[in-house]
Amino acid sequence: MSAPAPIRLKLCMAGEATVGKTSLIRRSVLDEYDDRYIATLGTKITKKVMSVQDPKGAGPATVHAILWDIMGTPTLRDLLKEAYYHGAEGIFAVADQTRKETLAALDAWARSIRSVAGDIPTFGLVNKKDLDPDPQFAAGEIEAFFEKRGWPWLYTSAKTGVGVEEGFRRLTETILADRPILKPDASGDGPRRPS
Amino acid sequence: MTAFVQPDTAVIVRQRLLENAEDVDALFVLAALHAHDGLVAEGITVLDRVLRLDPAYPGAWRFKATLHRMRGENEAGQSAWDRAEDVEP
Repeated sequence: MSAPAPIRLKLCMAGEATVGKTSLIRRSVLDEYDDRYIATLGTKITKKVMSVQDPKGAGPATVHAILWDIMGTPTLRDLLKEAYYHGAEGIFAVADQTRKETLAALDAWARSIRSVAGDIPTFGLVNKKDLDPDPQFAAGEIEAFFEKRGWPWLYTSAKTGVGVEEGFRRLTETILADRPILKPDASGDGPRRPS
Repeated sequence: MTAFVQPDTAVIVRQRLLENAEDVDALFVLAALHAHDGLVAEGITVLDRVLRLDPAYPGAWRFKATLHRMRGENEAGQSAWDRAEDVEP
């Protein structure tokens, strides 16, 4: 019996500029980190292959996650939303714990994505855990933000790797648990969610 | 503590294009900046250049569809959208 075809998922990184979206992908896919900041222009696509427990299956499933790393320029967000978010199946909403305003900004990013892709699973990543938090955060404020929206979340550090793999695994498993009946993927690269 | 300064996208685009006039990422964003400024036809022209350089540039065909629809060019918009369905990963 042949192995089941891999499952393809489109995941979008969302959040303000310099929160660490590109670094999180780099840590997750290459297990590397670079301190130099290079602003993302346009979008970069990276494939991450994962083996996760399929909540609807008996065993592990191979997932080809297509990660869309999108520039964090809010002024162009709505103009580009169809281009970037069509067919997205999950969102990483990325904030930077050293800049309080990046947390509140996640609402606008999630709203824009959901206006195109529907009510898809969203997972919060509060990045730069290796640095001191913004002192303007009140105690429990981050927890309350995500709890109010019903988004699971984690602290992460692209620099040390803390939380990164767990975040990717948990969002992927949530999508698999929610996914509708699949149709074969025309590319031959496995089934994907109907768009 | 130094205040955080948001990177200026237009400045970054200009710098990148000075270094390499065929930088597709910078050209893609230049197209978006034109459209954002109301210069939709100019945006399409730049986007066509992106697509000549990289016919599979992520999101470019769908963005082209958006811009054509903004100009009321629904047939061209649909054609670009169909193309996106063929090339997107």
